[in-house]
Amino acid sequence: MPAKPEQFKTVKEHGFKAICFSLTLRPNTAKVVFGASDFKVYEADFAATKFEPKELYGHESYVTGVALAGTKIVSGGYDCKLSWFDSAANKMIKSETAHGKWIRGVHASKDGKTIVSVGDDMVAKLWDAESGKLLHELKGHAEKTPTNFNSMLYAAAFTDDGKTVATGDKVGKIILWDVATGKKTGELEAPVFYTWDPTARLHSIGGIRSLAFSPDGKTLAVGGSGKIGNIDHLEGKARVELFDVATSKRTWEHQSDKFAGLVNHLQFSPDGSWLLGAGGAAEGFYLMLDPVGKKSIRQEKAGMHIHDVTTTPDMSTLYVAGHNKLAICECKG
Amino acid sequence: MNTKSTFCGSNDHRLNRRGFLGLSAAAGVSAFADMTGLDALSNSALAGELKKDQKRVIMLWLAGGSSQLETFDPKPGAPTGGPFRSIQTAVPGVHISELMPKLAARMQHTCIIRSLNTKNGDHGGAAKLMMRGRRDEAVVKYPDLGAVMAKEMGRADSKVPDYVTFYTQTEGRMAGDSGFLGSRYAPMELTTNNQPPDIRKLDGISELDHVQRADLRELMSKQFSQGRPNKVLGSHNEAYQRVRGLMASEKLFDVSQESAKTRDLYGRSQFGEQALIARRLAEAGVPFIRVARAWWDSHGQNFETHQEMVPELDHVMAALIDDLKDRGLLENTMIVTLAEFGRTPGINSSLGRDHFASAWSCSITGGGIKGGVAYGKTDANGNKVVEGEADAAKLYATIYSALGINPHKNYYLGSRPVPLVEPGTEAIKELVA
Repeated sequence: MPAKPEQFKTVKEHGFKAICFSLTLRPNTAKVVFGASDFKVYEADFAATKFEPKELYGHESYVTGVALAGTKIVSGGYDCKLSWFDSAANKMIKSETAHGKWIRGVHASKDGKTIVSVGDDMVAKLWDAESGKLLHELKGHAEKTPTNFNSMLYAAAFTDDGKTVATGDKVGKIILWDVATGKKTGELEAPVFYTWDPTARLHSIGGIRSLAFSPDGKTLAVGGSGKIGNIDHLEGKARVELFDVATSKRTWEHQSDKFAGLVNHLQFSPDGSWLLGAGGAAEGFYLMLDPVGKKSIRQEKAGMHIHDVTTTPDMSTLYVAGHNKLAICECKG
Repeated sequence: MNTKSTFCGSNDHRLNRRGFLGLSAAAGVSAFADMTGLDALSNSALAGELKKDQKRVIMLWLAGGSSQLETFDPKPGAPTGGPFRSIQTAVPGVHISELMPKLAARMQHTCIIRSLNTKNGDHGGAAKLMMRGRRDEAVVKYPDLGAVMAKEMGRADSKVPDYVTFYTQTEGRMAGDSGFLGSRYAPMELTTNNQPPDIRKLDGISELDHVQRADLRELMSKQFSQGRPNKVLGSHNEAYQRVRGLMASEKLFDVSQESAKTRDLYGRSQFGEQALIARRLAEAGVPFIRVARAWWDSHGQNFETHQEMVPELDHVMAALIDDLKDRGLLENTMIVTLAEFGRTPGINSSLGRDHFASAWSCSITGGGIKGGVAYGKTDANGNKVVEGEADAAKLYATIYSALGINPHKNYYLGSRPVPLVEPGTEAIKELVA
């Protein structure tokens, strides 16, 4: 049964001792693998009688990306390392310094064959999921912001066919890359996501925090925060922009009239009829948007600032990672 | 300002200072904005003595409150520690945040105080406290460190300002304040760019005309002074010499006077260039320069903010240390890196840190401070001081002691003695070289 965003509800929230930054769902189970601010990677079973996350292994800093490739867990963190862990054998396969600066995200292609990692060295790297071999280094994002501070590369997403990957940086630049060749195929500009305050505070905030392609690969959704007045806080409105990939033109810009903060996760429904956004500031939110009719379907408050969401293939069940919490939600009719 | 006040206080010699100077040295230059006051002028003239060994202070004011956990007191691996690692410094056993590798390599020159408990988490009140070392009383407005330095280290014959402050960002801007010391010791405030406003002579006045006017004034003054030995008259002349000096000091604020190599050393950022000007001013004898770098108030996205701003701070601190050292100035020039407070160990849901004055850090380099010392200690999560607690008064007693200023000396408000620091406060002896 297709998921119905109108039926969205939070089923259960579980407190956790650390900030949960990223998670991924084991297929056909209610088990998630997640990375946290205590430098560890855990597995948790939402179907278990007692919710007891089990520690799998560790990094040396925040774990900000986890992806699955068969029985292998690929994780990355602010220690700049990518770890390949065989969960069936409960054994670390390899852990290596993969980026020169913090790894901000690790994502698997839908077929599980390719992994992309993005880091503040402003490089995206494509990896063979099975062997862990580096396939391509994708270089094109500027290392410095226009005001000569270090930039950051936060977001990446594959098309469903795995042929294209998009990467998005702090100053609002998106680059499209051909996965097979590692060549740049396009660029998009979304500068509203980046706020530089030249007068009052002389630093910046924001950046592109999430990307998602529509199932047909023709539309790219970009998430973050709108312009921020007082950059001491994440007070800018939660913001999503849609781009037509073929023309690089922005086709819709949406700012929540209810929630402020960063949209940290975006995901199209399997039929492309709705788009899930999730994120937060002091409090968290879910946005359910109609990308065809270009309107908001629903906005819901979350129990925590959300950093990541993973779902069942039909998106009827959502597993959510956030600030000192994990949650399960449903969109079932 | 009372523009009709007089240099000597007598009606015989009433002069309108603005009228004499023309508008060229007008109101924007607060350093001499009220030099007409009898008390101020006579004080400087009567002081007469050369001040100690000409110590100077460059204060890097981290307005808004930088995080001690992302700078001087990292707690890697603690629940409160955040994502940054700590790195070994040049001093065995002393670690600081990985965001400060350049300072780490120069730690032998620097002391860190990790045990500040200043009990005020409000921006305005805390900034006043940390700029003064004590709280105002209802009837006593205390001078800030710049004003005290101006009084203690400023030279009567100086041709440069005694107290200069840069605060270019607008958030949290707080002017320097000479409190009960009066406007003689108030700062020259630079808030819009790196050049002081209103010290240039008017374009309509030629250099020759400018010099001749001064010569004429001096001649008349000398004629008047003959047979009238009077310290107040000395002050009168000193004031004019001082204004001439200030007008001639314009180039001190011009970083293009420096080589490209030196400019690159500091970096071409606003903060870097202001720090370079601060060095130029210190070298020229300005006793106190504050370079404010706002705004560190990272309630949201603390780690992004510090990732952006700390490397710049690290670079500027390292440049200042190297440059002052190379010029033989570090021994007599103190770099104080201070904020109004630190940030909470707890990380809020916006991945920010909030105001925290209970257990935070600052650093002091040079100018009589013992380098290579990490003084005081906080607990494993950075929530409280467990060793060597220091409040604002103790910090200031330490700064004054290192500079050779007796922290227990009294100023006088009328006949009331006002001690420089809170009575009963002692300096941290381990930090005074």
